[in-house]
Amino acid sequence: MKLNTKINGKAFCLEIQPNATLMDVLRQAGMKSVKFGCGEGSCGSCAVMIDGRPRNSCITLAGCAEGAEILTVEGMGNPENPHVLQKAFVDTGSTQCGYCNPGSLIAAKALLDKNPNPTAEDVKDALDGNLCRCTGYVKRIDAVLQAAAESKKTTKSTRGKK
Amino acid sequence: MAKTAKKETPKKAAPAAKVAAVSPIPESPLFFEKPEKFNQVNHSLTKIDSMGLVCGQQKYVADIDLPNLLHIKVLGSPHAHAVIKSIDVEDARKMPGVVAVFTYKDVPRIPRTTAGQGFPEPSPYDTYLLDSKVRFVGDRVAIVAAETPEAASEACTKIKVQYQVLKAVLDPEKARDKDAPIIHDEKDCRVPIPIFYDPKHNHCSHVETAVGDVKKGFKQADVVLEKTYYPHYAQHCPIEPHICIGYLDENDRLVLRTSTQVPFHARRITAQTLGIPVKKIRVIKPRIGGGFGTKQEVLLEDVCGLVALKTRRPCVWALTRAEEFMAARTRHPMVVTIQSGVKKNGTITAISMRIISNTGAYGSHGLTVLSNCGSKVLPLYRADNIEFIGDTVYTNLPVGGAYRGYGATQAAFAMECQMDEMAEAIGMDPIKFRQMNHIKEGESSPIFKALGEGREGVDMAIGSCGLSKCITEGMKHIDWAKKYGKPGNGTKRRGLGMCCLMQGSSIPEIDMGAVFIKMNEDGSFNMLLGATDLGTGSDTVLGQIAAETIGCKLTDMLVYSSDTDMTPFDVGAYASSTTYLTGGAVINCAKKVREQIVAVAASIMGEKSEDISIDDGICYGKGRKNKVTFGQVCNYAMYEHKQFQIGAIGSHISHASPPPFSAHFAEVEVDTETGEVKLLKYVAGVDCGTAINPQLADGQTQGACMNGISFALTEEYIFDENGRMLNPNFGNYKIWSTKDMPELVTFLVPTYEKTGPYGAKSVSEISINGALPAIGNAIKNAVGIRLTRPPYTAEKVLTAMKELNKSAKVTGKAAPKAASAAKAVKAKAEKPAVKAAKAPAKSAAPVKKAKK
Amino acid sequence: MLKKLTQFYHPKTIEEACLFLGNKEQKTAIIAGGTSEALRQDNSIEALVDISQVKELAYINKDTAFFRIGAGTPVQDIYKSAALTGPSGNLLKTAAGKIGSTLLRNSITAGGNLAAIFPWSDMPLVYMALDAEIVCRKGKPKRTVPVQTIIDQKAPQFLDKAEIIAEIAIPCYGKGTGTSFAKLVKTANDYSMATVATRLSIKNGLIEQVRIAINAITASPVRCLEAEKMLTGQKPGAELLAAAAKKAADSLTIRKDFRASREYRKEVCEVMIRRALGEALEKAGK
Repeated sequence: MKLNTKINGKAFCLEIQPNATLMDVLRQAGMKSVKFGCGEGSCGSCAVMIDGRPRNSCITLAGCAEGAEILTVEGMGNPENPHVLQKAFVDTGSTQCGYCNPGSLIAAKALLDKNPNPTAEDVKDALDGNLCRCTGYVKRIDAVLQAAAESKKTTKSTRGKK
Repeated sequence: MAKTAKKETPKKAAPAAKVAAVSPIPESPLFFEKPEKFNQVNHSLTKIDSMGLVCGQQKYVADIDLPNLLHIKVLGSPHAHAVIKSIDVEDARKMPGVVAVFTYKDVPRIPRTTAGQGFPEPSPYDTYLLDSKVRFVGDRVAIVAAETPEAASEACTKIKVQYQVLKAVLDPEKARDKDAPIIHDEKDCRVPIPIFYDPKHNHCSHVETAVGDVKKGFKQADVVLEKTYYPHYAQHCPIEPHICIGYLDENDRLVLRTSTQVPFHARRITAQTLGIPVKKIRVIKPRIGGGFGTKQEVLLEDVCGLVALKTRRPCVWALTRAEEFMAARTRHPMVVTIQSGVKKNGTITAISMRIISNTGAYGSHGLTVLSNCGSKVLPLYRADNIEFIGDTVYTNLPVGGAYRGYGATQAAFAMECQMDEMAEAIGMDPIKFRQMNHIKEGESSPIFKALGEGREGVDMAIGSCGLSKCITEGMKHIDWAKKYGKPGNGTKRRGLGMCCLMQGSSIPEIDMGAVFIKMNEDGSFNMLLGATDLGTGSDTVLGQIAAETIGCKLTDMLVYSSDTDMTPFDVGAYASSTTYLTGGAVINCAKKVREQIVAVAASIMGEKSEDISIDDGICYGKGRKNKVTFGQVCNYAMYEHKQFQIGAIGSHISHASPPPFSAHFAEVEVDTETGEVKLLKYVAGVDCGTAINPQLADGQTQGACMNGISFALTEEYIFDENGRMLNPNFGNYKIWSTKDMPELVTFLVPTYEKTGPYGAKSVSEISINGALPAIGNAIKNAVGIRLTRPPYTAEKVLTAMKELNKSAKVTGKAAPKAASAAKAVKAKAEKPAVKAAKAPAKSAAPVKKAKK
Repeated sequence: MLKKLTQFYHPKTIEEACLFLGNKEQKTAIIAGGTSEALRQDNSIEALVDISQVKELAYINKDTAFFRIGAGTPVQDIYKSAALTGPSGNLLKTAAGKIGSTLLRNSITAGGNLAAIFPWSDMPLVYMALDAEIVCRKGKPKRTVPVQTIIDQKAPQFLDKAEIIAEIAIPCYGKGTGTSFAKLVKTANDYSMATVATRLSIKNGLIEQVRIAINAITASPVRCLEAEKMLTGQKPGAELLAAAAKKAADSLTIRKDFRASREYRKEVCEVMIRRALGEALEKAGK
């Protein structure tokens, strides 16, 4: 069946199996940042933004994303022009193996989109579905707080593309 | 602008001096020079791949698209122990989309180990590509390759297997009983080196060593304590499960793109398993999503290789999370009995450590993890009489492998709990007790030489030890003086606990790493190395070492790693080796490159090599009057005069394994009505020598601590009565999220290790070992119970508290106070001596010497 | 997974949704957040009716007597809602905030959590503790039933093929009422081993009304009716609460759970109930 959806601002019309997960469809469409970690919505490495909400794409049927706007980290920024969150992850050393980073960045962005002044507790709450086995999370919390502070400083919006 | 070369006037050849022939076999130095200042090293430079990772640009195994890709599914055994009486795959083969199905009848039978270790491996060759017997739930039964993962899964359900179910061995303490079923009854399992191996009694490994006479030592003690500890099963839970892609390249060679920590061992062992030459295989490790030891194993490559070769199509095998739990590798659960003697003045007179290690159905790492229990823990405290007796046994349970900590985790748990018990028994503060007994700079331990990995170890004296400062600073962070021993008397009681740790850095005289560096005409370098970055940042760390040695910036060092065709050999990421061992190879190589640069610069500027200095990519002549840039140097060498490629290869083996040291502290709050343990604060101080990249070292420490913490409190394998894991998913196997975090404080205590590259030791493993003992000790401090069977679940805590209250009532003693109260000192001639006689029968019956 | 699925419908209104669901040609099922494992394992479903775009199902409103939550509202919105206040609001938000993780809360819906109930489902026992009413719609026609009806009969049996849960109406309790919520979990994102939701109202120094709702330790959400009876009309005190908690725990049919023994779960559940009643009582006094 056909799926019409917008991924990182670009319209896609994809031919998919009806029972395909959004994770598989996004990866097949080239968004390799969306990772398989558990397939059951527990680890968050597959998290993407669907109409502004961060959700586990591995347990979301692709068909449910009909007409939706999807964001993955490929749409947040690139090495030449990174999103303030991506830069903050890099600067604070929040990236070790990096496998959980895309999902975490999406969850972090969802937080800052709604709450530009989060506390550390807010950040922990927002990222509670993104398991990481490498970093112990400490630097990640700092990264999101740093990005929030950065975003407030600059006059023009550095919050990246929606 | 490059200076024009001075044409050399041909000199008359000087009479050839008599020079001793220099062997082409390099000598690896024991010591490295300490520079005056660090330009690149010991700076928190940006991890070179991190921007690519956060932008989704860096590629992991699955992130390439190959046309015609086949999907592999391996049918796993439903039984813990069974013989395959018949297996019929005809229906499966006929299913739409199925391209190939393999059973044990279709593949070569070559015994090998899956352990990623140097050759010949100190692990039994007891594993087969496919076998007619299955030895744990999830063990390989058949391989299916199909056009889609769904078709492959569907085909697995159509495979008809008739099993003769055998009695299973599920208790490691009963594995060697007379009537225990033999798990490896096949004729062809063997060990490749002369080490102990008695599979017909399910007895995989035996290690023992002794210093002095523990019996004598116990007699000298005022108190003798014996306790048995049961460190438990755990899985590494890398967020990326194992995955491997196999395909034939343009030259019809097998390429394995795999999530591995050991590309070279993977190449060799896959070649062995498939019966093909090493030169037919190329192993590439792209970015991988964590390993922690479970990927120090050659688990998927043989299957992918088989399918790619037989079908001539690219194929992928990705483990599900359930398969990762059940059929990858785990930590070896153990039974650790420590008997220790201590004098009232705090002198430890004897330590006896006896271990039964459960390696599960196959023996990979069975010997070496066991050896590390002794070698990485016993040297920490001074004792004249030490005994270590270890036995690894087979069971029909998930297979133990390498897991961060590697035996030190299990033994440190037991030892550090025992240290607190001893301190309490003699009425001494547990920190003072450790401070007076721990090894110090300049001292050695006979254990270093006594316990190696499959062979004798390497003697060494401690060249750097920052443990004292780890302890004193840590005490401040956790507020030890104010809070220790003050549980309060509310429903919720608080306690503090701590522990001291050591690990190692590389496996001396055994492991080797090599590095190749070549220069580019803009002054940048390509550094090719086998060393394996599994997210640890070793590409960056080694790049910093290279940049420091040559005299350029990290950003001019382009690192490419872990490709068996392109990069020189390295054992891979394990044994906390990469910085210490491969870092040495980097220096050995970079020094040669620097010499070449200096020589060319001297030639350009018409000066002497010894007058050339380098600073930040620029070569200066005498008095800094002349200068040339690295780019000019390389251009000159590449294009202008006496052209040659500036480059070199360097190798290194280490001659020591200097321990990093660490002290961990935990503050807990125990709910006395529910048993729930809340971890309020956790502090870890680490001496890793020079931190090549402090930010990365700190990150390693934080990650290891959180891993150790969930291991202590919530991670467990729950089995049914038939040996099947009931919770192979994140839903029921609990690792922690941001919402579970305690307040976590980590700090580095710098020291300088002369045998390490720029003073470095290692950092990646040690901190995973702290939580189990520190939290255990904190719980004891809070509510007076000594838990020996982690994880410390609420039910275990509540049950233990009730038992303690019951026994307190029976004996009429007051409810347990904080552990600072002195316990009655046991008389020397007491029961413990009888226990000592009993225990050996449990652990090694009878003690067997290595079979020749 | 969903092997017979051929089609998705994306209705924009409740009427459209019911129409698609009532379609006689296909075996249909409703899907909101889609996290239900049971749904994904159903290989007989031929068409899914995706209600995530039905705006008239996603809202949190308040009128004079009720908080009204659209069944398609993700529980994350409940957790973060400024509109939900007072004892009902507290209980709803506390429970919603402890469901799974942020990612799951953005998928799990207020109605979805009731339409398929598992031992670890968090909202149904909260709805029970609050005496919620469930508004069901079959196109235009609607019927309102106490939440107990849905829990007793189970939504798939209770609802007509073309009928959906449209709204959860929660009475607004005022001063004199306190609520509390607790879960026995090993980590923040864990399937609960015992979940307790209570509501307690005090009038003239006596317990006027009390609800003790339990899930997770039981196979489905239950109220501890005998314990509630024991407390109603009585003067609250520590001994009474403890006795009620014991009665409540004793009344439970404890399900099998490989994670902890029956005895332990029962013992802790009793402690949780006692503490929950105490907390609700304290809040009722404020």
